[in-house]
Amino acid sequence: MAYFRITLMRSAIGLPAQRKGVLAALGLRKRMATVYHPVTPDVAGQIMAVKELLDVAEVETALTKAEMKDQRRPERGYVVERRAGAGLE
Amino acid sequence: MICRRAFLEARSALSSSLRPQLRAITTVSHTTDPSSIPETLINPGSISKKSPKSAAIDPQSNSLPMAITQQPSPLPATHISIEAPATPSALTKSVKELLPLLRAQPPWYITTHIHGRPYLITAGDTIRLPFRMPDVQPGDILRLNRATHIGSRDFTLRAPAPIKGTRDGPGKTLYLDERLFTCRATVLGTESEPMRIKEKTKRRQRHIRTVKSKHRFTVLRVMEVDVKDVGEVEGA
Repeated sequence: MAYFRITLMRSAIGLPAQRKGVLAALGLRKRMATVYHPVTPDVAGQIMAVKELLDVAEVETALTKAEMKDQRRPERGYVVERRAGAGLE
Repeated sequence: MICRRAFLEARSALSSSLRPQLRAITTVSHTTDPSSIPETLINPGSISKKSPKSAAIDPQSNSLPMAITQQPSPLPATHISIEAPATPSALTKSVKELLPLLRAQPPWYITTHIHGRPYLITAGDTIRLPFRMPDVQPGDILRLNRATHIGSRDFTLRAPAPIKGTRDGPGKTLYLDERLFTCRATVLGTESEPMRIKEKTKRRQRHIRTVKSKHRFTVLRVMEVDVKDVGEVEGA
């Protein structure tokens, strides 16, 4: 199933309430937030209403918020080799 | 006036007395004589032109193409730049040639990445991390396994430049092969900042709410930074 990956690039400050409502319905609260919605005429119409503010791409899989955060998480960079007092056991 | 003249005299005396020593000080490296380094290693054009495409990235491994780098400089001190191909189990000919040279020049510095943030350290340093590391006690020994640069006086082994993120995916920092080095640090304990009190209030309201902050920071001491031998790396 195809999804729209929608990212809010421009803020809605100063815009009419109707367009702010569309962004709320899409789930976009902040600039640079990304949401995934299935490709349907309804969602397409919502995008068209605020198309100047968005960056849209069509992708195959939808990521959840946790998955998106996981992609950005850097590696830990260390491994605990020995615990204090381990040699005493 | 008197003291100023005296100062000027002292300065000129000082500089003239230093001049013979200054003449003797040089930035030329005496440990690596440029004439002793083979021509092919000094001339990066003959070796370094491995295209990035040939360095295909193995998704399982973080040990990716590395370069022992040379900064082109007028000084004879040399850092030599070569890119390595990507199979994580094989070292390139150039890394095999130059790693012994790097290994022959202790002590080494290393740029380790902890949670993605770089720290340039050497053996004996104390790092105060900008966060409290959870689940460690004072006395625990950590092995720092993500590094982008290891260097000595004349040589630097460095990982390729990070891949920039696009809107389709986040960027990726490339690290050195873990098998080439060891870096151990021990947890000394936790420090904390002085108590900060933030007062929150609104205009024309007499009630003030206070919020206290006292952040803790983990302190590590770097015990060893070691570059491995090529034979050990390949044999293992």
